[in-house]
Amino acid sequence: MTTDTELNPEDFVETARAVTTACAEAAGLPERMDLLAEAGLTGILAPEAVGGMDLPLGFAMPVLRSAGGGFLAAPLLECMLLARAFAGVDDALARAIVSGEMPVTVAWSGVLDGTSGVVGRAPLAEACARVLVLRADGRGVLVTPGEGAMVETETTLDLERPEARVRVTAASGPELSADAVARLKADALVLRASLILGAAEDCLSRAADYAQERVQFGRPLSANQSIQHHLARDCLAVETIRNNIQRSISPECAVPAAAARATFVGAATLGARVAESAIQVHGGMGFTWEVPLHRHLRMIKALAAQGGAADLIEAVAADLLANAA
Amino acid sequence: MTQTALAETRTGEQSMAAHARAWLDANLPDALREDRPSARRNTVAELCDWEAKLHRAGLVGATWPKEYGGGGLGLRAHLDISREIGRTPMPESVNSIGKELAGPIIMAVGRPEQKAEYLPAILEMRDIWCQGFSEPNAGSDLAGLRTRAVQTADGWVVNGQKIWTSGASKSRRCLLLARTGPVEDRHRGLVLFALRTDTPGVDIREIQSIDGERSFCEVFLNNVVIPEEDMLGSPDEGWAAATRVLSIERATNRMHRAWRFENQLNHLVSACLSDPATRPLAESTYRRALAEVSVNIELLKGHVETLVGSLIDGQEIGPRGSLPKLFWSEAHQGFARLALEIVSQFPVEASDTLRVARKRMEDIYLKSRAETIYAGTTEIQLDIISKRILQLKRKA
Repeated sequence: MTTDTELNPEDFVETARAVTTACAEAAGLPERMDLLAEAGLTGILAPEAVGGMDLPLGFAMPVLRSAGGGFLAAPLLECMLLARAFAGVDDALARAIVSGEMPVTVAWSGVLDGTSGVVGRAPLAEACARVLVLRADGRGVLVTPGEGAMVETETTLDLERPEARVRVTAASGPELSADAVARLKADALVLRASLILGAAEDCLSRAADYAQERVQFGRPLSANQSIQHHLARDCLAVETIRNNIQRSISPECAVPAAAARATFVGAATLGARVAESAIQVHGGMGFTWEVPLHRHLRMIKALAAQGGAADLIEAVAADLLANAA
Repeated sequence: MTQTALAETRTGEQSMAAHARAWLDANLPDALREDRPSARRNTVAELCDWEAKLHRAGLVGATWPKEYGGGGLGLRAHLDISREIGRTPMPESVNSIGKELAGPIIMAVGRPEQKAEYLPAILEMRDIWCQGFSEPNAGSDLAGLRTRAVQTADGWVVNGQKIWTSGASKSRRCLLLARTGPVEDRHRGLVLFALRTDTPGVDIREIQSIDGERSFCEVFLNNVVIPEEDMLGSPDEGWAAATRVLSIERATNRMHRAWRFENQLNHLVSACLSDPATRPLAESTYRRALAEVSVNIELLKGHVETLVGSLIDGQEIGPRGSLPKLFWSEAHQGFARLALEIVSQFPVEASDTLRVARKRMEDIYLKSRAETIYAGTTEIQLDIISKRILQLKRKA
């Protein structure tokens, strides 16, 4: 087994960046999945028995950070988690996900009551071979579109990973236990925060570059204290996300579940603020389609909804009241 | 009993955190508990006595060398203790300048005999320190400092004026910053002293602050003679070392704040829950706002714990030390504003529990206005981040 004494999460940054760049030129999702699989990124968390690298969550984070910063149009987060989750349940399936042959996604919003219902917020479901749908009893079923499940197009904010709705009439397919689904959802929180971190870093970097290049009244925008402070606050936001991702996976963290929840909720709020601020610093340019800041903002907002940020705030409130009672 | 001897009363297997928690639970007097009706304004002598006990229990000076009365432990132990101190609703230290500013600077630049004299006295609460940096014309911009120190055969003769000197009237020593040359020298020629506040020519006048306290002061220095042996480092060297120490201290001092903040939030919520007639928690907007405060507290812990981890790993944190201070001060002010709004809706005939919470939150609200001003204003922290972390171009 590969251990983290031999590898360092940062070793994957360059690879992830190069693959993300290559993916931007690829023709479609199958080609992008091939590139990701070839670099080992789809199987980074999956056991070696199914072709994965069996690395801890901390190794997936820099990869998703690069993906978030580089507009990766692939369900990489979902593939990483599902390849790990189905290993031992259906090894052939897990192997197919790791190899990139079977792109899979998750309908993050809603649950089936029994074996039917409508669930949503499934990134790239229209291009994926399978979709994990969640049931009211906590378990998950990996359904195949066309076989008791229909993928329906939705209007969606995210341009890179457009979401779809899944109408299920008879859910059937390999299943995940409630524990496995709970673990998948918990790990997805910090992985989403990593995607957001990458996007927020890119927004800040673009805003800082623009502020130093753009000259008005005979000096760069960055010579104005109002702009400096704008960007300094964005820097604080980015560092807050980064430090909290690190805290969430640190063995020293006494409250990993609370830390992961706060990390995701904080990333959803702060990441969006950084993207909004970058648009503001760019002025009219920031509001144009060509400047890709809106793509980051769209992705962050979609990720916030997929992770149920609003519900999580309610859960924090419930815990706060229960602990203080 | 020495600190080490008492600290060792914890059993071999007991973690520092468990020892701190058990000791604080057993020893904090009710009169000092900020969440009890019995809480009252304490005298400086009572607070010194309490802090000296904390030191003897091994809960203060954990990272200082044993030879100076410290625990000789690492930052991880300091963090563990800070969490427990934060969770305990007790008064802030009356000697935080001694413990968090003067002490570390003396350790960095002091001569052996200075360390032996000053450091144990800080931990044992024999000497309370104040900080004499700011002046009427040199607040955030210390390069504008005017207080002059002239070397004579009898020692240094100092003239000038300091302001916003918190706790000066109850301090025995002042960490005094003066200049040896003209104001035009800006950051050159700055010199640090360990001034005794009872030295002839030192005139301390209290200033009443918005919370009604008379903690901070003006200090007038009129031909004050400071002996050579009370200079900390040589001119230039002392201040340069101090600024290096301060960049680390900014990240590690008052680490307990995140957990004290959490204690304050829990106090507010439990007080609200104690009375079914208290409306605010029934409203989803307040519940949500309180949950957002709770999230901010976790995020603040993320800053503190990650920076401590970086320091333990031997990494330079440089200007990143500004991040937790900026994040905490603004998040805490936001909480204080919300808390005041909530307690202002408590019933007129409130229970003891509600009245104690209301009083505490009112105090927190007023005091919080200073949090974005002291130890580098919010604007200074933003300047540090934009200049030193982002390294933004400032000229054409």
